[in-house]
Amino acid sequence: MAKTILIVDDSASLRQVVAIALKGGGYDVIEACDGVDALSKLNGVKVHLIISDVNMPNMDGITLVKEVKKLPNYKFTPIIMLTTESQEGKKQEGQAAGAKAWVVKPFKPEQMLSAVSKLILP
Amino acid sequence: MNLDAALQTFLVESRELLEDMESRLLQTESEAADADTINAIFRAAHTIKGSAGLFGLDDVVKFTHVVESVLDKVRDGNVPLDSNLADIFLESCDQISALVDNVANGNDAPDAALEQKGSGLIDRLNVYLGVAPQAVAVAAPTVVAAPEIERSGIVADTDNWHISLRFGTDVFRNGMDPLAFMRYLRTLGEIVAVSTISDALPAFDAFDAESCYLGFEINFKSDVDKAAIEGVFEFVREDARITILSPRSCIADYIELIRNLPEEEMLLGDILIKCGTLSEQELNVGLNAQAELAEEISLPLGSILIGNGAVQADVVEAAVEKQQQVKDAKNKQQRLIRIDADKLDHLIGLIGELVIAGAGANLIAKRSAISEMLEAGELMGNLIEEVRDTALSIRMVQIGETFSRFQRVVRDVSKEIGKDIGLIINGAETELDKTVVEKIGDPLMHLVRNSMDHGIEKAEVRAERGKPLQGTIELNAFHDSGSIVIEVSDDGGGLNKDRILSKAIEKGIVPANHNLSDPEIYKLIFAAGFSTAEQVTNLSGRGVGMDVVRQNIEALRGTISIASEMGVGSTMSIRLPLTLAIIDGFLVQVGRSAFVIPLDMVVECIELNTNDRDQEQLRNYINLRGEVLPYIRLREFFEIGKESEIDGRFDGRENIVVVRYAGVKVGIVVDTLHGEFQTVIKPMGKIFSHIRGIGGSTILATGEVALIIDIRSLIEKVQANEPQPLQLLNE
Repeated sequence: MAKTILIVDDSASLRQVVAIALKGGGYDVIEACDGVDALSKLNGVKVHLIISDVNMPNMDGITLVKEVKKLPNYKFTPIIMLTTESQEGKKQEGQAAGAKAWVVKPFKPEQMLSAVSKLILP
Repeated sequence: MNLDAALQTFLVESRELLEDMESRLLQTESEAADADTINAIFRAAHTIKGSAGLFGLDDVVKFTHVVESVLDKVRDGNVPLDSNLADIFLESCDQISALVDNVANGNDAPDAALEQKGSGLIDRLNVYLGVAPQAVAVAAPTVVAAPEIERSGIVADTDNWHISLRFGTDVFRNGMDPLAFMRYLRTLGEIVAVSTISDALPAFDAFDAESCYLGFEINFKSDVDKAAIEGVFEFVREDARITILSPRSCIADYIELIRNLPEEEMLLGDILIKCGTLSEQELNVGLNAQAELAEEISLPLGSILIGNGAVQADVVEAAVEKQQQVKDAKNKQQRLIRIDADKLDHLIGLIGELVIAGAGANLIAKRSAISEMLEAGELMGNLIEEVRDTALSIRMVQIGETFSRFQRVVRDVSKEIGKDIGLIINGAETELDKTVVEKIGDPLMHLVRNSMDHGIEKAEVRAERGKPLQGTIELNAFHDSGSIVIEVSDDGGGLNKDRILSKAIEKGIVPANHNLSDPEIYKLIFAAGFSTAEQVTNLSGRGVGMDVVRQNIEALRGTISIASEMGVGSTMSIRLPLTLAIIDGFLVQVGRSAFVIPLDMVVECIELNTNDRDQEQLRNYINLRGEVLPYIRLREFFEIGKESEIDGRFDGRENIVVVRYAGVKVGIVVDTLHGEFQTVIKPMGKIFSHIRGIGGSTILATGEVALIIDIRSLIEKVQANEPQPLQLLNE
């Protein structure tokens, strides 16, 4: 069964493009528009990898990582954070929270696919 | 991948975000902005930039990036959001919106107006970032794309990459699965063998199921480069110790690459990175280790890198060898011996003696008529000639060093006088005598400054004349039949003939009813006390410079001439003898005294007929093919008695050697012409320094001394002696 990836970003178009790329790579994708939405989407499904933006309304990415790490089922789930290079401070904060993989925006869809496939195969 | 639908989403989404951004910005004008509002504005820009990047909309990304950066500062409280900044943001909103519309209309790039507006806004935004206005770098993606893999069929099994992995204990907790990396690694090549290192496994009691204790040694077959393999482990780099060793065949490749690197001085690390065996990551680790160790022992970087397992010893060796090679090549260039100039002068002097002694020996050999003797003499003669040429070439230096000084001069002076002037140098490798090089610097400096000041026009004038705004000065050196020519050209306005003439007439340098050719008119600028510049500037125009230039050049037995065209530019050509030590002379005799006239000044030789001689009491000029040729009688000038009549060698015939000097022709009356003669110039002793008309001496093959005539001072002396100055009318 294909592995499932949760993509969390407040931009619908970004989610859409990443979803197309990842689905093309053989993954299943579910989308969430912010941290709160993401946590609710994690219930009842097995998500193998989370891609999350840092800056989002309602619940930001760093908080999301901390919350996810508290969930027993998602203790070992790899998380890719999306960042801009000006957010070096955020990056360190996020790494401390347990999100070790970071991809710098703007990125190309195929770069995202390659980053994902380093962490999980479909 | 069909992104059209997604792009439509992006367009709608961007417009919504921009509207939101706009209304929130307007809101900040009426009430103090709270953190949420600013955050929302930031997020809008951030989101648009991120999504635009996905679609490859670089123009949107570039502009929005700057907006976002400033907003980031506002959000952090580093920059207050005042009404001025809010204005800029609102305009930026419009700009982004215009850029997005542009995309919606299917245009690839924004038009010029839009682009210009954008860069104007970027400049204004940059003020808040503390950046000088310039193009803004777009954030480069750091994710390494996996390269396509091409498998070559036949590779020896041992010829593989060796990857050594030691994962940190937290790796699972960080969401990283070592197996995932290995699986991904398999997409780059073939994992031939994996051995698991379980040394770190603790006793069963202390075992934590969530920790990773394993290490792996992987034998990996692939054609990708080291950076690509390193990229696989990008996300665990900080959590694991990773060593990647290149396959053996690669070592050969690396060594080959190192050997083929350009001959430049490079640091060891740079060489290793250049050939691909070392990644920058590894180099930094190595350098840090070196710095840490430096307090205890100083260890070369090479050994540290080998110790770390980052590179193989062979490769480091090759790199060190390469470094040495480059250094050797450098040293070779510097394998010059500095010699005291006096010693060299002494050597040249001795060789001059040798030339004379050789000629003397030859003469005796000829008289003796012994053929063996003649043969030996000839052999000697050839060798002496070779020794002479070699010795003279030692004194030769390239003019390049003198020329390159002018880069700075031109740069500084053009700033000083507010003209944009460039310098082009040609023939820097042309060699000439060291003494000449030393003495030519000042005259050249003056000519260059003169060209910059008077030659090159002001930018407005140049624009009017349709010339490039930047003026050009050109320095050019080349050999031309035994002499060296140095040219200073400019593409300026050229010399103003009429102005030079009127000035010269005004100053009484030429009579009003002159009959001068263009080059002669140009040459007037070298006359003493001449300057046409209406305004005396800091640089030139004081009317001494060009005169001094001419004197300096003539002191080097050189000449200077000018070619010029109104509105196009002018060229000053300095023609100098290659060397000051040996010249081609023309040997003449008056009575029993021999004289040498520098051959390059000799125009022709004619006989002084009795008719002219008879009228000598009346005049000292002859009619040379319709021209007036004033002449100087060397016998009278040097008060040589007619003893030659006594010994019967004087046959009563006299000859005129016509010399040309500074554009005029003068005759020199001598008894006998002997023809060309290789003249080794020997300077006159100090006690003779007051004697005018003599520039030096030389020794003839017979051992006799011949005096070298200094035409310039000879003419000046004669002019000074004449009650009515000798009218040196022109040819």
